[in-house]
Amino acid sequence: MSAESHPAPARPGAAALSPLRDFLQRLRRETYRAGPHVPLPASPTHLLREVAPAENLVSRFQTSAAMVGCRVHRVRRDEWLATVRGILRERSARTVLVEPHAETALTAERAAQLSEALEAEGVATSAQCVDESLFAADASVTGVISALAETGTLVCVSSAASARGASLIPPVHIALVSSSQLVADLFDFFERLGAWAELPANVNLITGPSKTADIEGVLVTGVHGPGEVHIVLTAD
Amino acid sequence: MNPTSGLRARLAEAHRDQRVVDAVHLATWRKVEARADAMAGLRHYAALRDRAAQIRQHTLDHLPQYLEQFVERATALGATVHFAANADAACATVCDIAVSRGLKLAVKSKSMTTEEVHLNDALLAAGVRVVETDLGEFIVQIDRDRPSHIITPIIHKDRRQVARAMARELGCPYTEDPAEMTRIARQHLRDIFRRCDLGITGANFAVAETGTLCLVTNEGNGRMTVTRPRVHVALVGIEKIIPRLIDLPVILKLLARSSTGQPLGAYTTLITGPRREGDVDGPEELHIVLLDNGRSRILSGPFREVLRCVRCGACLNACPVYRNVGGHAYNSVYPGPIGSVLSPLLYGRPAEELPRASSLCGLCYQVCPVKIDIPRLLVQLRTATRARQPRGKRLLMRAWAWAMDRPWLYRLAQRLMRRLLPDDGTGWINRDNHLFRRPLRAWTAQRDLLRPPPQSFRELWKGGLGDER
Repeated sequence: MSAESHPAPARPGAAALSPLRDFLQRLRRETYRAGPHVPLPASPTHLLREVAPAENLVSRFQTSAAMVGCRVHRVRRDEWLATVRGILRERSARTVLVEPHAETALTAERAAQLSEALEAEGVATSAQCVDESLFAADASVTGVISALAETGTLVCVSSAASARGASLIPPVHIALVSSSQLVADLFDFFERLGAWAELPANVNLITGPSKTADIEGVLVTGVHGPGEVHIVLTAD
Repeated sequence: MNPTSGLRARLAEAHRDQRVVDAVHLATWRKVEARADAMAGLRHYAALRDRAAQIRQHTLDHLPQYLEQFVERATALGATVHFAANADAACATVCDIAVSRGLKLAVKSKSMTTEEVHLNDALLAAGVRVVETDLGEFIVQIDRDRPSHIITPIIHKDRRQVARAMARELGCPYTEDPAEMTRIARQHLRDIFRRCDLGITGANFAVAETGTLCLVTNEGNGRMTVTRPRVHVALVGIEKIIPRLIDLPVILKLLARSSTGQPLGAYTTLITGPRREGDVDGPEELHIVLLDNGRSRILSGPFREVLRCVRCGACLNACPVYRNVGGHAYNSVYPGPIGSVLSPLLYGRPAEELPRASSLCGLCYQVCPVKIDIPRLLVQLRTATRARQPRGKRLLMRAWAWAMDRPWLYRLAQRLMRRLLPDDGTGWINRDNHLFRRPLRAWTAQRDLLRPPPQSFRELWKGGLGDER
């Protein structure tokens, strides 16, 4: 593996840190001579939240996601496969990345089901995220670890099973979301994230397709990330 | 040397090209409207803003402790944390990382700190090719221009200028269609992303509790930059710290709404250490370079509040001065109202006239998501450099202040001025008067001649204005 051919220094940062230590000491001396540390009071999140936990999260999510430019397909549980295939067929996808992840709605079983169905139609599928297949893929199908009703946001994380590039590099991203994965507010999501024993190296909150308005303020989607984000939302 | 001459010349330059003026006007106006709409849809805007300001100020008031916590956490996760006291040290650190590992092709996600230290020039000199990947910054780079807005770098360009630059530099067919130009840039940069070995970013926030960097982007270039290369270097100002993960949503709810009117940026990326063992992709090394470059000095002085800034750009869009002169007139990496405070504090004398280029209308404070009292800071900065103002102006101002303190004198002066400057402009003092050509020219060249109305407000009130209700 290439990680071994470029080892990090034996004690990362040990030498680099001493100027920082000096600096912090100086900062403490010069700026903060007096006063003990007063902790920041907790956020009164119940007074700041946008979406009440009791709200209808499915319809709220549907509205928010559509507003930021996602295409939401709200379907019955047994319709997900046909819906995904339909989207891919409409876009004449020839190569598709199907990335299963146990903690998402795209389980290994479902992924196998999808891949089999696609292969039968002559669509090449890959589950492994080797570089060339990522850049060559016409679309990717992934699960998410969470979705936010407030903003229509999808949350994808890096892991041994899921690549940072999967929801980023192919021009069309199809995300499978089950309604049990919806959280009401950004506050709820960050509270849950804070409870994780260890944060993944990379957590992405995806809110709509990749976009820019750099040239004369004209909105263009699909700059570096996918220009189309489809959400297949099932109830369970 | 007249310190104002640079600013004057730049202001004149700013108005030479009407197309640029129109482009900036239209684009900023759109953003002002988008922001207002977004905030109107936010349930607890005022409370969120109070809380965001409190979080940022608290962090600054206890910065050494939070910095230490951040460094400890990030290091424990396998990141290498460096410290750069100034721009040269920052450049040297990044160049050293690149050169010692034989990295040749760097991709950059939009970052104000790297602009501030002029990192691109240093890397080029060290033999590393740097490619800007934010569409706006990419166009700035190929056109050898300078950014003029902290969020929308090419706000001063119209589509024809962009089209010409792209056709000339990339050899692509000429097109003025923004969608097509974006597609061409995507193709061009995809090839770079396949081959690059170094990724350079800034950070919107750094979470002390978890050692996490937070990056907010819209295009996805930021995500590409922290996904593809095997080394990721983040240049982070020491003021970017946030205490805890749960403090992030408060500010995230305001940040994109302030910038562009979106509820969230398209991509909010949380980076906690380099790629984990077994991860499918991602950088093997993560270097975090904490940048001081004058920040600790600001922190220790009376302007600490300015470091709350989250670089949303709302004050630029709202500012009537920025809207009229554009970003280049400020001659600083940080233009607009926030730049008029930051630049003199960071660069000293060369930027000390900027606080005077403001009408103090207060819109910047009104739209600031972290409640930085920019108008008050501008006045404080003016006061700090009062001694270096021209002598005549100082005397006039002192006389003015003296008269304002004495109501009888003020009333007398009012009556006198009405004689000298009557409504029709035919009085003893008028624009053709030699008084206006010589000693007062510096003032009147850029300001309309005062035309006092026949009756003052006081007189109208005395005459029964208040009774008409």
